Amino acid sequence: MASWTYRFFRLTNPFLRGTHVFISGTGSPATVTRTTDSIGVPAAQFVRTIKSTTWFEENLTEDNASFMRQVVAEDFKQMTADKLYPLKDEPWPRQEWQEGSRRVGLVAIKLGMMPIWTKSGDRHVVTLLQVKDCHVIKHLSKEEYDGTSTALLVGGKDCSPFHRTEESIEFFRNAGVPPKQKVSTFRVTDNAIIKPGTPLYAAHFRPGQYLDVTAKTIGKGFQGVMKRYGFKGQPATHGQTKTHRRPGSLGPGGDPAKVFKGTKMPGQMGNKFETAIGLKLWRVNNRYNILYVNGSVPGHKNCLVKVRDTRLPKRAGQTRDLPFPTFFRDGDEELPEDLYADDMFQFGEEDVTTT
Amino acid sequence: MAACTRGAAEVLSSIRAFRHIQHQNGRFISTSLTDLAVGGDGRPPKFTPPPKPVIIDKTQSEAPPRRFLSPEFIAPRSRTSGLKFVVERKDMIQRRKALNIPEFYVGSILAVTMKDPHASGKTNRFVGICAQRSGSGLGATFILRNIVDGQGVEICYEMYSPRIQTIEVLKLEKRLDNNLMYLRDALPEHCTFDFDLKPVPHNPTADVPINTVKVRMKPKPWSKRWERPHFNVKGIRFDLCLTPEQMEHAQKWARPWQEFDMMKHHDTAKLEEAIFKEVQAELSK
Repeated sequence: MASWTYRFFRLTNPFLRGTHVFISGTGSPATVTRTTDSIGVPAAQFVRTIKSTTWFEENLTEDNASFMRQVVAEDFKQMTADKLYPLKDEPWPRQEWQEGSRRVGLVAIKLGMMPIWTKSGDRHVVTLLQVKDCHVIKHLSKEEYDGTSTALLVGGKDCSPFHRTEESIEFFRNAGVPPKQKVSTFRVTDNAIIKPGTPLYAAHFRPGQYLDVTAKTIGKGFQGVMKRYGFKGQPATHGQTKTHRRPGSLGPGGDPAKVFKGTKMPGQMGNKFETAIGLKLWRVNNRYNILYVNGSVPGHKNCLVKVRDTRLPKRAGQTRDLPFPTFFRDGDEELPEDLYADDMFQFGEEDVTTT
Repeated sequence: MAACTRGAAEVLSSIRAFRHIQHQNGRFISTSLTDLAVGGDGRPPKFTPPPKPVIIDKTQSEAPPRRFLSPEFIAPRSRTSGLKFVVERKDMIQRRKALNIPEFYVGSILAVTMKDPHASGKTNRFVGICAQRSGSGLGATFILRNIVDGQGVEICYEMYSPRIQTIEVLKLEKRLDNNLMYLRDALPEHCTFDFDLKPVPHNPTADVPINTVKVRMKPKPWSKRWERPHFNVKGIRFDLCLTPEQMEHAQKWARPWQEFDMMKHHDTAKLEEAIFKEVQAELSK
């Protein structure tokens, strides 16, 4: 673990709002003392300096390091296997869907893109999202979360515990799942809560429904106004002095006598969360847990994205026929390897019908 | 009548002599002269042509069929995870089971029939030379070029589109280049193919014939500067359209170090081998 020197600082727990952690003096995070009050009285903030950096196997022999890895891998396998049958493991009572219910979403990996064709021969592109090791980690009641609705924390894609803080590992161990690379919060209604540790699969979503996908866009760094906002710039010739890619005017003149807030100017482009809304789900592969989502999705290949049912008012009633609160693999429903939307052309079937 | 019988007697004697010779030589070629000899009706016997001799040459072993893996199965070097290619390949194989996509190269002449709701008969057929193959996976495409009524036409077909009904190879051959887009600036005689071209039978075991024709070009300016080294065009008769000075001037854009750049080397032999085995196994199921 890196050893840090802190003079004064405030460290917020990434998962719980409203609590502050104060660490006094030097030392590893094991000496953390937590105070849950004094939200309005922060300590003075400053810069932390890294005095030295170590990694978990620096002071271990090769045998021990490989043993650690082996033990951890077996441990994860066991944890995942234990959680494979949630319905037999004292599940929370399953409640009925009502008008206005919101169910949980998933965390997926963006694999890449592919063309698909409809039955009438039109071509569309889809993005493949793989749902890998997705588990519900924690349930936050209304009071714990933000006072208005319950929340479920969902994590996706196992990762190694060696480069994480002890408190985050403890957080996952409480749920009985291996540590996850990304943890997303989903605001749900009270009738859609799920017991922590339940695995979530791609069949939670069904073809024909519409989704919202959120992810961090590819970072482009500090960019000028032409790339960032598509401004036209100025001509290359005809007497332009040192002005070819500048924003030009910043607004009206003497009456406001100021530049309005939010005026488009050069700055950081990308590397922030964006949501693609209203994406149709064309196909679900249950063997590899892959969702085929229409169009493009923010983020680079192999990045983690947050997928949930769309909030568009036109598609409000779509959750009526969907598995509620989620799809349980050890339940009664037997699903085929692939589920297709009605108007999608499946490669094994007969040729396209011309309209 | 007398002449006929006399003739028949001569024939009979010659047949006897012939058969004697045959037995002496050891080889036996069956003839139907015996039928002729019988002819008891008096009518002239019906002529049945002798069957073709079947020569089984046992000296050479049966040649194995040519190995061919369509280039779109091999993905370009990228950070995409292997699972995406696995899933895409499954779909490609499934489509290939429904539609036979034959082996073809750039330079082969193909005929493609596609579903078209606006055409009479609901299908349209296009014949052309394959000028380019690009794309990988399900979005793989090929461009067919032909000159119809004096107008050059290029159509880009997606190989796995469900609108394609048949892909037929009329003439299987390769050319000196992998990309024949320079045919746009070549004389029309090199790109005109009859729509009723008869399919030329090709050998499934021997190597694909390479057509070493060098095309004559229209006068410059061309759509691209084909003489420049990065196009690496071998199939143009530059001696007829460019002076040696112009050829030398084009070499200024040469990048001779690129052939030694190890970072650009990407050996796909093992990958190709594995994918070929998988595809063969799945298609033969």
